[in-house]
Amino acid sequence: MKSIIEVKNLTKEYRNLKALNNLSFDIFEGEILGLLGPNGSGKSTTINCILSLLNYNSGSIKIYNQEMQPDAYNIKKDIGVIFQDIAVFEELNVYDNIDYFCGLYVKNKDERKELIKDTIKLVGLEDFIKFYPKQLSGGLLRRLNIACGIAHKPKIIFLDEPTVAVDPQSRNNILNGIKKLRKQGATIIYTTHYMEEVELLCDRVIILDKGKIIASGTCDELKELINIEEKVTVEGIDINKNLLKKIRDLKNLKNINNHEKTLIITYQKGKNNLIKLIDFLKQENLPYSKIYSERPTLNDVFLELTGKDLRD
Amino acid sequence: MIVFKTYFKILNKLKFPIILYTSILIFFSIFNMQTSDSSNNFIATKADVAIINYDDYKGITKNVIEFMKKNNNVIKIKDNNFNLEDALFYRDVNFVIIIPKNFRKDFLDNKKPIIEIKKTGDYNASLAEMYLNKYLKTANIYLNVTKNEEELINYIERSLSNNTKVEIISKLDTIALNRASFYFNFLNYCILAGFIYAISLIICSFKDEKIRKRTIVSSMNYKNYNLKLLFSNSIFALILWLFYVLLGFFILGDVLISINGLLYFVNSFIFSICALSIAFLLSNLLSSKNAINGIVNIIALGSCFLCGAFVPMELLPKTVLKIAHILPSYWYIKNNEVIKTLDKFNFMSLKPILINLIIILIFTILFIIITNIIAYKKRKID
Repeated sequence: MKSIIEVKNLTKEYRNLKALNNLSFDIFEGEILGLLGPNGSGKSTTINCILSLLNYNSGSIKIYNQEMQPDAYNIKKDIGVIFQDIAVFEELNVYDNIDYFCGLYVKNKDERKELIKDTIKLVGLEDFIKFYPKQLSGGLLRRLNIACGIAHKPKIIFLDEPTVAVDPQSRNNILNGIKKLRKQGATIIYTTHYMEEVELLCDRVIILDKGKIIASGTCDELKELINIEEKVTVEGIDINKNLLKKIRDLKNLKNINNHEKTLIITYQKGKNNLIKLIDFLKQENLPYSKIYSERPTLNDVFLELTGKDLRD
Repeated sequence: MIVFKTYFKILNKLKFPIILYTSILIFFSIFNMQTSDSSNNFIATKADVAIINYDDYKGITKNVIEFMKKNNNVIKIKDNNFNLEDALFYRDVNFVIIIPKNFRKDFLDNKKPIIEIKKTGDYNASLAEMYLNKYLKTANIYLNVTKNEEELINYIERSLSNNTKVEIISKLDTIALNRASFYFNFLNYCILAGFIYAISLIICSFKDEKIRKRTIVSSMNYKNYNLKLLFSNSIFALILWLFYVLLGFFILGDVLISINGLLYFVNSFIFSICALSIAFLLSNLLSSKNAINGIVNIIALGSCFLCGAFVPMELLPKTVLKIAHILPSYWYIKNNEVIKTLDKFNFMSLKPILINLIIILIFTILFIIITNIIAYKKRKID
């Protein structure tokens, strides 16, 4: 795959704080790249530096092999950005808002008309074109925000936490819209702290913490990194120290966490871990309300790599 | 074009307050037209005078009473001290003359009899006193020439009949110019409130941090974008100013088809540019639309009251006028007041107007410099 964005040794400092610490990565044409990390990890700063909204101390950013500059308008015409905060005019209705932001890129009125029509259809705002932002629900407003960023059919789209505070229906609509955009050939850079969205959408993930890349790769590659095969949760169990010790001695077990009548056991690679645990509980005559097994999530990866939760 | 188009779409949403300011202007201008009075006719005022005569109504006594009757309104009041004091207190009369017994005889004998007077102390009383003194002084002068009463009265009458004829030689239509001045003074409020309200709010929308970020990342050249915004603001300001000029023609009529009219236009145009710069400054200073809504009336009404847009400058305390010097509205209104009195147009007569216009332009430049400093500091923080 062809690399279209090349970030090399990017460092950004705010006085004594290193917001980005020697970041290097590539973004390939047609992929959805997830930038994952807790609040303050440097996701938005990275995007702002790539978009030349922020100066950086050292490093280089190239888009289509050209150095990205504030006046690189020939590059900017292919970029669409959806910021975390809703950025629309309160005084304009849905259609006029999309028209304005599309008009910043496309001068031709007829061409713009077609693009707006397609975008409104894509985000599902057909019934709301005469509505003003104040009349829209949070989810519809997010969709409008997205429509304003993609109406000019950009080749590269930056989405900065687009599903924050969105109802499930709008969330699905947004995620489906992103998939459609990728199908149309767009390269998408998606920042979020919802790991389930990343797992659902992204081809590749970069995990950031304190301005550093702590891991990158596909979701499966990242999970491989932490050597966890399975995570078993037992709810409604009252267990004493002796029994806990016995569980610790079970085969393949990597970690055990007992908190408020919930037992979370992580296993290294190995087979039939769940069956073995159920057998043990039966043998010890230990009652519980629920037991289930999960594949490790990206949160587990983050927890394993940093010792803290993604949403901390 | 999209910036221009969007600017006017947003403006359309803000039209109601501008219509309101304009309606107030029309209402007060028409109201002023109904109430303004004439100043090119001169009618001498007369004081209300009571004359109590203890002498015989003959000769010089009769003549002095007739003279006072001719130049004042004589009010009949019963001759007692209580009635006289009451009439003075309630301003039924301004001046009371009490002619003593034997006044005629004593005067002709050059015994200098004293006419007792009582007065209210206002300018009508002074006027009546002036007439009485004028008569007595003239009579005393001619008493040195002749002792013959008939001859003396003839001399006095001849001398006092030489009236001064007052003729207003100015060809100015002062009523119309007063109305024009009122209109253009009031326009201070409409221009300031309209410009600050609309322009500040529109710029506030365009410069909203989130929208600004979206604009910066777009492929539109940011300098061009700012120029387009400036152009849109200027076009709006020009349209609003032209509208007020046309409205002026509609309300005031032909008086504006004159050099005075042209000067009113130039003055209001220069002031409009200054108001534009104030709007730019405020939109850079304030980022909240609510704050702008609040500050519009403080600035517009404040400068109107301080600088004499609603209340004539002559009636304002000196301290207030001194404070008003720091506001461009003062120089604009001062110019309107000068323009209404101009009937000769040469460098000397236009000089004060030019100086005031230069002061307004200096204010404009100052506001632009401050706006740029604030914008530069904001960019640096970003």
